[in-house]
Amino acid sequence: MPRRALSAARRGAFIVAWWVLLATAAVFAQRLLSVSSDLRSFMPPAQNADQKLLLDEIGEGPASQLLLLAIGGAPVDTLAQLSRGLSRRLRDDAHFSRAVNGEFTSDALDSQLLPYRYLLSPTLDTHAFDADFLRDELQQRVQDLAAPGMQQLEDLLPRDPTLEVLKLIERWTPRHVPATRGGVWFSPRDEALLMVQTRAAGFDPAAQGEAIEALQRAFAALPNAAAARLTISGAGYIGTQVAAATRAEAEWLSALGTAGFVLLLLLAYRSAGVLALAALPLATGALTGIAAIALLFGSMHGITMAFGFTLLGVAQEYPIRLFSHRRADADAATSVRGVWPLLRLAIVSACIAYLAFLASGVPGLQQLALFTIAGLLAAGAATRWLLPALLPLRFRDVAASTRLEHARARLAAMPRPRWLPWSVLLLALALLWLAPAPLWQNDLAALTPAPPQLLQREGELRAALGAPDIRYLLVLEAPDADAVLALAERISAQVDKWISDGIVDDVELPSRYLPSNAVQRARQQRLPDRATLQSALDAASADLPFAADLFTPFLDDVEAARQLTPITPQQFMASPFGARVQAMLLQRQQRWYGLATLSGVHDATALAIGAQALGSQVRLFDLKAASEALVVDYRARILIALGVALLLLALTVALAFRNLARAWHVIAPMSLATLLALAVLRAGGVSLSLFHLVALTLAAGLGLHYALFFERPTPDAAEARRTLHATLVCVLSAVLVFGLLATSSVPVLRAIGSTVALGVAFHFCLSIQMAPHAGARRAD
Amino acid sequence: MRFVHLLRKPLLLHGELDYGGPGSLGKRVRAPYEETTRIADGAVKVERAGRAPRQFALERAPELQALLTGFSALLGGDAATLQRYFAPELVENAPKWTLTLRPREPDLAHRLRSIVVDGRGDEPHCFALHEANGDASVMLLGTLSGAKLDDPPTPAQLDALCRAGP
Repeated sequence: MPRRALSAARRGAFIVAWWVLLATAAVFAQRLLSVSSDLRSFMPPAQNADQKLLLDEIGEGPASQLLLLAIGGAPVDTLAQLSRGLSRRLRDDAHFSRAVNGEFTSDALDSQLLPYRYLLSPTLDTHAFDADFLRDELQQRVQDLAAPGMQQLEDLLPRDPTLEVLKLIERWTPRHVPATRGGVWFSPRDEALLMVQTRAAGFDPAAQGEAIEALQRAFAALPNAAAARLTISGAGYIGTQVAAATRAEAEWLSALGTAGFVLLLLLAYRSAGVLALAALPLATGALTGIAAIALLFGSMHGITMAFGFTLLGVAQEYPIRLFSHRRADADAATSVRGVWPLLRLAIVSACIAYLAFLASGVPGLQQLALFTIAGLLAAGAATRWLLPALLPLRFRDVAASTRLEHARARLAAMPRPRWLPWSVLLLALALLWLAPAPLWQNDLAALTPAPPQLLQREGELRAALGAPDIRYLLVLEAPDADAVLALAERISAQVDKWISDGIVDDVELPSRYLPSNAVQRARQQRLPDRATLQSALDAASADLPFAADLFTPFLDDVEAARQLTPITPQQFMASPFGARVQAMLLQRQQRWYGLATLSGVHDATALAIGAQALGSQVRLFDLKAASEALVVDYRARILIALGVALLLLALTVALAFRNLARAWHVIAPMSLATLLALAVLRAGGVSLSLFHLVALTLAAGLGLHYALFFERPTPDAAEARRTLHATLVCVLSAVLVFGLLATSSVPVLRAIGSTVALGVAFHFCLSIQMAPHAGARRAD
Repeated sequence: MRFVHLLRKPLLLHGELDYGGPGSLGKRVRAPYEETTRIADGAVKVERAGRAPRQFALERAPELQALLTGFSALLGGDAATLQRYFAPELVENAPKWTLTLRPREPDLAHRLRSIVVDGRGDEPHCFALHEANGDASVMLLGTLSGAKLDDPPTPAQLDALCRAGP
């Protein structure tokens, strides 16, 4: 009996205690670490103004924050009622900054802003408040009053006989709005339409999910809600749907993979005891990695975390090596000491290689490196110092298997022509050269595509609502906010021409809501003084039946407007209608940007040319192109990091062996297999993405183990059988788990799954094929 | 005839009404100016010669909505709808009658005091809308529209005219 072995009961208690400890740590980690879905914590720092703006825009973009709603499946009256009820509730909901459904909201201009109407409305640009203009307006008011039910107008009339308030509201209504029925927007398919803006960023699926839940709760609480059907669409909604579908599929395939892995372990070791142990090092490593991130960074991007867990998959090999290399003639501690030097070399060299990522300067990559290094070290330490004491006492030395000996003998007898690796290299290069598809896939969204029917619905609602385009933005740049507004005013004539030319349906310039200081001043100067206005008004209303002194409030307001200081963007943003302008004006490092949203872009090329003609301060901003440029930059940094990592790895192995030839036997099959996997993917028409690169890195990490263990000069055939057993279990489990992922319908899962499965298979074949001692060994 | 408290004297308009079934009503002003108002599908559309048409939701003008509901229910003989929205009060003086409709909903009652319809037999000849702020519209239908009025006409004179009938 081994000296250090614990009793079965104490071992069981220890294992349970370990799991409980891990579970507790997991709960704490979840509290400590915020997993962000904000792309900014994943992407490299912005290199130019476009990228800076993109990173801000991704966080705060107005168009991506819009949710488009349709309520259908009930009579029009019910739907209109639901639309009104829902928008009322959402306006009071902290998740949303805006909810519009076509309802008339006369409170848009609060009473504080009311005197400013003469500075905000364009009426004075083309008219003067003289007798002729006033007479025409007042005649219309008489006709307005002749119809019953104009109480609102009657309230407004003494103060605002020219109805500037209504002109402003009309001006601030989007140009293309759906038809109105029962007072609210309706689609041609008899659905009530609404548009709401979330406070959360459009690309933050978690926060969007919360807002969507709040929205659904608000709708369900309405009377008659059960009779109707609420359809949600918009970038944020599609994002959460796609994320949920991806997660569901990943979970289902992982569950299946785990079940297969458990079966494989049972088959390989004929012991249920190893099951509780097999996952301990990996779980310990993952939690250590998370703890390291929580301590040093505080938050981690979801994609970085997914990458990290993928790379940490290497650690699943450690316990398997331990299980397979147990010898019948020695205790667990002695067995583990037999494989530890090689395992330690694999762990240390991988960790040193990942140091290259730490030096990359990209927060996402640094987190990835820290997570993986901490995780690998912890998993290795757990395997070396904790696991051996917990191994079941009764076990089967796998070296005793005759079938394994047959397999080993067959593999050993395999011909190993020296030309084979070279021809594989040539084949791989040829495949890479001939590959049909573009080398890189830069569109991250293409990896998690939205279902076509969701996109189609989104397109329909976007068109019906005249909602802004999420890809293009017109960006105005100026030293201050007022200069942005002045710039918008300067280009508005040209922009109107784009609209009349049919290039774009609508461009929402910030100056639509708030004129620049200069324009406000000019309008102010055209306001007549009280005496002049009084006499013009008297002349205008001489033949009209208005009560005497009815318009005193009008005279007061105009007089007040003459004394006002023009309203500033800051003041305006604080008003109820200011939220629109707030989303359109951004300050970044002493510069101000105006973001004009575009609706119904019909000709992006013409638009880009048109914007260019407006000078360097105006740009058509293509969010998709800019985000792809960011991805390209990110990938370039990953590639450099990977190149450095490979060099570091080779150096570490060479130093450890103090023998270049031995290092070559480890590095060569690993590099060749990686190249071959890459070539086969490319020949299959795959364009590479970040996910492929990470998957290739994981496969290479596993391949390093195979190469190291096959390269090891083994003293006897029994140990060679154990090596083969361990490697077979590792290879089969990796091919099983990742092969299942490769069957996924989600491209990102397919990318990771197929790359790792292919890579692992090639690494196994080539490390056996290129192993230096295999042919020389004889069965004992 | 329209009495508005903001105006020194009432407005006198001539024109036609046409009822296009439940929820649809048209009004055409011929004099002193041309104007067409059409209520359909919950929207009110006003067109005047030489100006862009204006459109607004019927719900923005609850008085109009009530008028339309009352009108539709009366002409369609829909007593149930009438009862639902209004407290009707009928004074008969055969063959003449006066029907007063007072809105039941407090929100509406806040703006509209009553709708009064005068008729003889099965033919209405007066349609009056009394708003809560004292403004009123009185429509004289059929031959009554040609009746001679004082200058300026007073609400009392119009009341008497409606009660008396043609």
